[in-house]
Amino acid sequence: MSYREYTVFFMIVTGILALFVASPALSRLLVLPRTEFFTEFWILGSNHRAEDYPFNITRNRNYGVFLGIGNRLGYCAYYVVEMKFRNQTQPAPNSFNRTSSGLPSLFSITAFVADEETWELPLTFSFDYRYNETLAQVELYNMTANDADLDMHGYTMAWDSRSSGFLGNLFFELWIYDAATSGFRYHERSVGLWFNMTIS
Amino acid sequence: MRDCLFVVFAVSSVFSLCGLVFVSFVEGSENVVASIELEAGAAIAEAEGKIVICYRAVADADRVGANITGLLVVLNDAGDVLSRAELAYKFGDFDYAVSLALQSQERLSSFVEEADVLRGAAMQARYWDFLVNVVGSIMGAVAVVCGGFVVWVVLRRRYSQAGSVGL
Repeated sequence: MSYREYTVFFMIVTGILALFVASPALSRLLVLPRTEFFTEFWILGSNHRAEDYPFNITRNRNYGVFLGIGNRLGYCAYYVVEMKFRNQTQPAPNSFNRTSSGLPSLFSITAFVADEETWELPLTFSFDYRYNETLAQVELYNMTANDADLDMHGYTMAWDSRSSGFLGNLFFELWIYDAATSGFRYHERSVGLWFNMTIS
Repeated sequence: MRDCLFVVFAVSSVFSLCGLVFVSFVEGSENVVASIELEAGAAIAEAEGKIVICYRAVADADRVGANITGLLVVLNDAGDVLSRAELAYKFGDFDYAVSLALQSQERLSSFVEEADVLRGAAMQARYWDFLVNVVGSIMGAVAVVCGGFVVWVVLRRRYSQAGSVGL
């Protein structure tokens, strides 16, 4: 081995060894910064898949769905899920204007989710309602959501001839605690399910 | 005639008295309801404030890399109870709302202290991690390069001496 070859070999071995020793530091320093910060918000059917969602509702029968949140914000977040109900004429959350629905919340669900973690809530619900023949509309009395009884008086659904049903929309809005304002703001995410209240 | 007037007077007096008793009873019960409502509202507001304080403590602990899984379970539990307290308040069940709001607060007693302990431990672990894995490994790499250079110089001298002897 010539002197030059010997020098190159020695430098390569030293370099590899130095990189190996420095690898714990390099693994911390050479990390690409996260650029996308967001929250996932989903609703799944009773078999934990994005299918078999309840649609045709029978009075006082229990239905199950899963409500989930995935936190990719880079910090532990404090969420509140507002559960609301509306008929076809009432306002829904607007994804273009990024505004929430002005309807009152039926129930609030609190969720604290660590960064890169998910939170999921099995939600079992049922509706108690009756068909008002005079006004030809379905009138809700009560909703049970995870053993919480919710007053639904005043919620009505008219006959929708196009869908051939009495349609109602149960939807969930995601709100997040903003430490800067010490209050909650709408997080521009909502999921919901349309139901047909069947009359037997 | 006098007896008749006396009877009328007596009956009207009894009615007036009953009316006064009824009005004072109704006002009293309204006052009691209003007071319980105020108490429930205050208890819920206090529980909400407590949750926010605890959330800030847990967020601080999370920022320094503490394992906050256990704390989040407690916080979610307290939040769930508070949601039910708000629902009870909405339906006018103020006694139950107060009870739930207090339960929510109880679940968070000594929460901030626990979060602070975890934060302190995480900060110390983070310090040692930085010292060993960042400073230590960089210094180790520098030592390897320097050591390699020294060894190379020593070996070069020996090589050149051997070469000059050979020459």
